[in-house]
Amino acid sequence: MSPDLLAATGLLGLAGSAGGAVVGLRFRIPVVAGTTVAACACGLVTAGGVLSGGGPVTLEVGGIMPLSGFSLSLDPLGALFTAVTAVIGICAVIFSLGYHGPGLAGRPASTALPLFVTSMLLVPAASSVTTFLVLWELMALSSLILVLSDQRRRAEVQRAGEWYAAMTQAGAAAILLALVLLAGHAGGQSFAALAGHGPGMASWVRNGAFLLALVGFGSKAGMVPLHVWLPRAHPEAPGPVSALMSAAMVNLGIYGIIRVGDGLLGGGPEWWWLTVMGLGAISALFGALHSTTSTDLKRLLAYSTTDNMGLVLLGVGASGIFADTGHRALALIALVAALLHVVFHAVFKGSLFLAAASLEQGGGSRRLDDLGGLLRRMPVTGTVFLVGSLAISALPPLCGFVSEWLLLQAMLHGLPTGDVAVAVAMPLGVAVLALTGGLTAATFVKAVGIGLLGQPRSRGAVDASEVPAAMWAPSGVLALGCLALGVAPVTLVPAVLRAARVVTPAGVGDPLRHGWRLGLAGSRGVLDPVLLGLGLVAAVAVAAGARRLVQRGPVRRTAAWGCGREAQTSRMEYTATSFAEPLVRVFDDVVRPNRHLDVSHTSESRYYVESIEYHSSLDDDAFERRGYLPALAALRRWGDLARRAQNGSVHRYLAFGLVALLVVLVVVG
Amino acid sequence: MSGPWPAATQLAVSTLQVGGVLVGGPLLLGLTRKVKARLEGRTGPPVRQPWRDLRKLAGRERTRPEQASWIFPLAPLVLVATALVVAAGAPLVAVNPAFGTSADLFAVVYLLLLGSVALALAGLDTGTAFGGMGASRALTIGAVAEPALLVAVLALSIPARSSNLPAIVSSSLAHPIWLASPQRLLALGAFLIVVLAENGRLPVDNPGTHLELTMIHEAMVLEYAGPDLALVTLGESARLVVLLGLLANLFAPWGIATRPGAATLAVGAVTVVAKVGALGVGLAVFEVFMAKLRLFRVPELLSGAFVLAVLAVVVALVVP
Amino acid sequence: MRAGSYDSVLALAVGAVLVCAVAALWLSSVRGVVRVLAAQGLALGLVALLLGLHVHDTALVATAGVVVGLKAVVIPTLLRRVAGETHSRETRPLVNVPASLVAAAALSLLAFSTTRDVVRLVPTGAGKLVPVGFATLLLGFFVLVARRKPVFQMVGLLLVDNAVALIAFLITAGVPFLIELGVSLDVLLGVVVLMVLASRLRADYGEVDLDALQELRD
Repeated sequence: MSPDLLAATGLLGLAGSAGGAVVGLRFRIPVVAGTTVAACACGLVTAGGVLSGGGPVTLEVGGIMPLSGFSLSLDPLGALFTAVTAVIGICAVIFSLGYHGPGLAGRPASTALPLFVTSMLLVPAASSVTTFLVLWELMALSSLILVLSDQRRRAEVQRAGEWYAAMTQAGAAAILLALVLLAGHAGGQSFAALAGHGPGMASWVRNGAFLLALVGFGSKAGMVPLHVWLPRAHPEAPGPVSALMSAAMVNLGIYGIIRVGDGLLGGGPEWWWLTVMGLGAISALFGALHSTTSTDLKRLLAYSTTDNMGLVLLGVGASGIFADTGHRALALIALVAALLHVVFHAVFKGSLFLAAASLEQGGGSRRLDDLGGLLRRMPVTGTVFLVGSLAISALPPLCGFVSEWLLLQAMLHGLPTGDVAVAVAMPLGVAVLALTGGLTAATFVKAVGIGLLGQPRSRGAVDASEVPAAMWAPSGVLALGCLALGVAPVTLVPAVLRAARVVTPAGVGDPLRHGWRLGLAGSRGVLDPVLLGLGLVAAVAVAAGARRLVQRGPVRRTAAWGCGREAQTSRMEYTATSFAEPLVRVFDDVVRPNRHLDVSHTSESRYYVESIEYHSSLDDDAFERRGYLPALAALRRWGDLARRAQNGSVHRYLAFGLVALLVVLVVVG
Repeated sequence: MSGPWPAATQLAVSTLQVGGVLVGGPLLLGLTRKVKARLEGRTGPPVRQPWRDLRKLAGRERTRPEQASWIFPLAPLVLVATALVVAAGAPLVAVNPAFGTSADLFAVVYLLLLGSVALALAGLDTGTAFGGMGASRALTIGAVAEPALLVAVLALSIPARSSNLPAIVSSSLAHPIWLASPQRLLALGAFLIVVLAENGRLPVDNPGTHLELTMIHEAMVLEYAGPDLALVTLGESARLVVLLGLLANLFAPWGIATRPGAATLAVGAVTVVAKVGALGVGLAVFEVFMAKLRLFRVPELLSGAFVLAVLAVVVALVVP
Repeated sequence: MRAGSYDSVLALAVGAVLVCAVAALWLSSVRGVVRVLAAQGLALGLVALLLGLHVHDTALVATAGVVVGLKAVVIPTLLRRVAGETHSRETRPLVNVPASLVAAAALSLLAFSTTRDVVRLVPTGAGKLVPVGFATLLLGFFVLVARRKPVFQMVGLLLVDNAVALIAFLITAGVPFLIELGVSLDVLLGVVVLMVLASRLRADYGEVDLDALQELRD
């Protein structure tokens, strides 16, 4: 396939960005949206060509940047990520046409949006160190601008932006070090050279590069303990931008880990991958627990991104272990499961974030305790959110189930391979998957049940109305995607298999039976999503028919039972906090909420209570409280010391120079 | 598994299983109530009383709380449907019913979760405190039960190297020595506890309670009446039968029909009915002597089940 | 006895020893834990009996008798007496029950992964079960660490002792009769001393947990 479309993607992005900066307010939005969608479409067509077996697309442009040209090469692994970004990009940009939320029409935001989308489209295609770093940095900066687009009105946005900027730059620095380390030892900076020399490098170089890359890319993927920016930045960004970040940008962290660990370094020792699995397990559990306790809809979704990326890392780690111990077919299957989960996560998280933005616009708040009753008032958006929630809870026949099933199969079949680490890691992996599955189901029952069902809990929710088609259509398309991919993963599996083969050891036959039924070659069991779906629909239909047969007269609307009280008000409903309370209590040692109990007594007697106030909040998580805040405080103390050392006196600076000279002399001598 | 299975026979087996589960569910409830009543010195209602109740409910008017959306009437249908889909594919009467190749133990777990999620959503849909309370508690228990359940499934799948239900059952038929092996007994312990928790039985939830504040499952379905309530009862009882039947055949598969033929199928049907009935009587006896645990001690019970399941995996790896 | 059923009954008995250790962590009532300990003694006796019958070693069969007598009858009776109020419970363990059970799962995985080499050294069928013995050992230690009441400390000690005996049985297919007798009597002596200590403590200070002893440090 010709590289023209790839070039067109980049050029359209640049044009859109320029248009966003120059064109007046009237035509700005059509210009920006049009070019961005066109860029996505070009990326999608190119990636689709590569994924359907057309061979890699390569584009070299010399002379744009000093030292080296700009080199892109889209192989099936990259193409998978580009395709996902393109689909999410198209949906999010169309969605933004109807979105009244904060500041997307502003000049900085409309300049940044095309750049953001285009750089995400091209990062997976970058095939040299400088190209990759330039695109990565472009993506980081443009997303920062987008996160900050509402900073004038709300202080939290600014704080979120600070966290995001610090974490993303630290991550980029780690990636820079990792890639430069590799390039230095490979004697060239193209990815081909790196991959050629990577497996033969000294082990400290390999270990160092891998760990640095894991830190850098892991922070982008929201991996615990580097996740702290994610639950702040994703909720505070404007709706479509949150969707882009949570459904497309975090994937690139996973892409980086796979590309560097499996691709450039050609796999590694078992402990690398055990680390990846361990961090993945912690991320999954931690993310799931915190999303269970969140009462802010978008924060809940952001934590669940950490959760899902943790599951993907479980798969990536398992694949690495299998590859290292020589079980190539299993390595391929685990990686396919991980990549499938990346794609499915993008689809359902995209629809959930877009639907959440619609709910916020329609219901006037994103606090679950201010919503309620929205399924009747916003039927399409509500249904979309419901479908996304069922998919993310891995319930059949929707898509999340397929990838989790495949991951479970990989772990099950890897278990008897005899290695001790495997024998310990796989049961724990299954347990983590199960617990996060249960917690996710509880979380999304809470999100749907409190946010969409029952009685409206605020004025805004009472007056809510459906959003325009430009908003419900894109999220609806993604929700339909959840259903279609869940019933027919066959449409996706060959492409994902092609992507996974790029970085797993060669010489494996077809480890998967991928027809309409999904199964492992050589194993008797299969998963038949079509049959499951049809069976469920048929059984529901039969049950409905039977109910219809015996039903006499219309359904009567009645008042709900309130223990004898006449009217049930929304103040009597369960809230999001009370819903999650049993789980918080069960996992008290992990979650550690801030609790305050104030009891004031009447002046006459200590035995009579005047008022009791109870606050329980979970604004920051344990990693923030225990790790980051003390570290920041220590840093500040160092800063104070440094300031004291620097009082502006020339003599003191000269003395520093002298001391430095003496130290050098002593060390060298 | 010996002998080819004609598709028509397989379909007949599935139909038989679905029908049996539907009819047998309420009868099992009746049986447990009868046994409990006898043990407590009462006469108790006849075994077919739940069916009479269902018939009575079917004739009543359908109601729907003012605030509820379309989720509320849909949830009982989904609950029944998930139980029936599992009943169609699970090896209850014969090793290989229709859809047997795609009857996967993990899929069963997630299908049943779908049913629970549907009921919990319906509970919240009523917009009352009780519905929310029931949903919250049910899902808390479900979330904590999930690891024990899946790790127990893993332990069961190791000998067969597959999570396919017919494969597991036929591999344990082929190696009867495994049936009494510690890993199976440990997994059985874990499974039993989880089945009790998932079906709202004692000591996790009291199926006979009439006090709203102590209810879990009953609180969720408090607003259902008439045919909807009948469906909920039917779905719940079908689910109990399917789980007990699976439990029986995973751990004691004797008597299940391994080759097509009217005689073997009849034997299979009779033995599975006998096994489920015996389990039901055991459940009733157990419940007579058991008090309900406080809600916050349920995680202790379920984490115990989790340890049993992990030990099952460990032992399965030690003793191949 | 056929080889297959011998193996599986042995595995069952060893598994029962392990499950008893888990149950000791799971239960909080003194009465229940003592009962569990007696059951473990029985299972351990069964292991010795099976091994003895298998290798036709009368001394080992006799050991089985001693083990059952001491560990399933004498020591539990003593414990019941020392505990006095058998209805009492461990109400404030240092590590709560769900956390200890999850820790138990982790410990058994650890025991399994670290004793691989031992398994390779002992080629017999019984040797394969050694990791289970180690898991029991770790669980016993964990009971010592995680529970406050003196009775539970004694239970933990006895669990460790049982685990050591189990490992010895499995590795050597029978320690000499005299040694086993000596070890068991040592433990019995330890229990008696602890019993006296605990009853003196109770007489002097009322119902105490071991953490209160920290105050005696100065």
